[in-house]
Amino acid sequence: MGKAFISAACMTKIGRHYKLGIKNLIQEVATCIEERIGSRPDYLIVASTLSALQTHQLDIATIAAQYLGWSNIPSTRVETGETSGIAALELAQYIVKSGAASKVLVIGVEKMTEYPSNKVNTDYAKILDYDTEYVRNLTPPNYAALVMKEYMKKYGATRDDIAEWPVKMHANAVNNPYAQLRFPVSKEGVRNAMIISEPITLLDAFPVGDGAAAVLVTDESARSKDTIEIVAITSASAPSLYLRENITELPATKVAWASLKRKLEVQRLNEVALQVHDSYSIYGILALEALGMSDRGKACSIIPSLEYLNVGGGLKARGHPIGATGVYQVAETYELMIEGFAGKQYSGEYALIHSMSGPDYNARLALLRRW
Amino acid sequence: MKHSIPIFWRNRDSHYRIKITKCNTCGKLAYFGRDRCPYCGSRNVTIIESKGKGTLVNFTISYYRREGDEEHLPRIVGLIKLDEGIVIPGEIVDIDLGEVKEGLRVEAVLRRYSSDDPYGLIYYGLKFIPALKK
Repeated sequence: MGKAFISAACMTKIGRHYKLGIKNLIQEVATCIEERIGSRPDYLIVASTLSALQTHQLDIATIAAQYLGWSNIPSTRVETGETSGIAALELAQYIVKSGAASKVLVIGVEKMTEYPSNKVNTDYAKILDYDTEYVRNLTPPNYAALVMKEYMKKYGATRDDIAEWPVKMHANAVNNPYAQLRFPVSKEGVRNAMIISEPITLLDAFPVGDGAAAVLVTDESARSKDTIEIVAITSASAPSLYLRENITELPATKVAWASLKRKLEVQRLNEVALQVHDSYSIYGILALEALGMSDRGKACSIIPSLEYLNVGGGLKARGHPIGATGVYQVAETYELMIEGFAGKQYSGEYALIHSMSGPDYNARLALLRRW
Repeated sequence: MKHSIPIFWRNRDSHYRIKITKCNTCGKLAYFGRDRCPYCGSRNVTIIESKGKGTLVNFTISYYRREGDEEHLPRIVGLIKLDEGIVIPGEIVDIDLGEVKEGLRVEAVLRRYSSDDPYGLIYYGLKFIPALKK
């Protein structure tokens, strides 16, 4: 099998883009990539989780290809809940490594503001099992709240310990021009914010916003100083939350990490550029523990010291346009490794990206290496 | 119409009763009744029925608003450890917010999940209330 590289990245600012439809967002990042590389891709993959439910559009990849005037290239939509963006990258690298295509454009896009928030909340909750969880009024923030409560009880973590996460994410997002929430928050602000599902407050949860991001995945012929290698992407699924013996662990992430870590030739992940999935504060903390960066129950204390953790502000503050998020994580990491991002320069060899859906119903890890 | 009538009708057994899958291969019990063990994939399973009594082990008071939730918020949802030893997710009703606590004895009842307002079907299923004293 050949190698696969990321050789360009583009992002739109995440926000409530009432003047832009899903095709406009796609066009913005597709045109940006086209201008950077001076040519067209030979394969298009679009990651979108909610497009069918929020915009009434099936087969958004084909509709996008038609809209862009690329109607002769293959196009595929990918949907795996909140990990759709990394799943799209996972397929793109296999297509390139197999030799079937040499320039695969991966676009992540989501429109989340076409209806009032209660409609997007309704649709987002369908990442859980429709028949046994969704219908019974169980939602993703409810599960995150149960996990957070259990974590606080089990390890004695306080409300303010958990608030280290949003404080760090908001501080990072201030310097990210594409972030939705570019303002700092305090622990007191997190504690006193509106309750979503106690103990989770509004400032523990991702904001609702529209966005699109794109990365170009190429083969070795496009290698240059501006290419980052996709070393490997691993993924796994896990049992429903109520079937787990310990709900404060991330079982799918654990499996994906076990098969990836031998490829990472560094000892301390603490110094590696890292993006983890933090739809709710507690999940970011559990991700650090699942990746072995701290003992169980102790991750809150290392958050302030991690210089290259979610440099763009994470899902919490950059934003989480569901199916687009994984592509934002990759695009930010690519920018960080090539020319610096959000006011930070990074000279390390590796970067690791973590994505998961709901309470880790599926997880994906992407390992990138400077070439 | 929020739910499909055929989907809801097909799953009526799991909405109206608490079935447990007992795996004869790995020995584990799992909520709900299924053809395959969710832990090991074995098809050698036996379905048993719960008595519907248990203990609340974890809960959250939720203000998260989905369509149709408006008049029902806040909801109390949590994890219930059934007396048969397994955990199931569910909504707790008929209790004041200040009264709900971990360790509360609860029992399953049939309640309204949602309805196709204003004139449509009403969907019923299992929720939990504080255990009634005998």
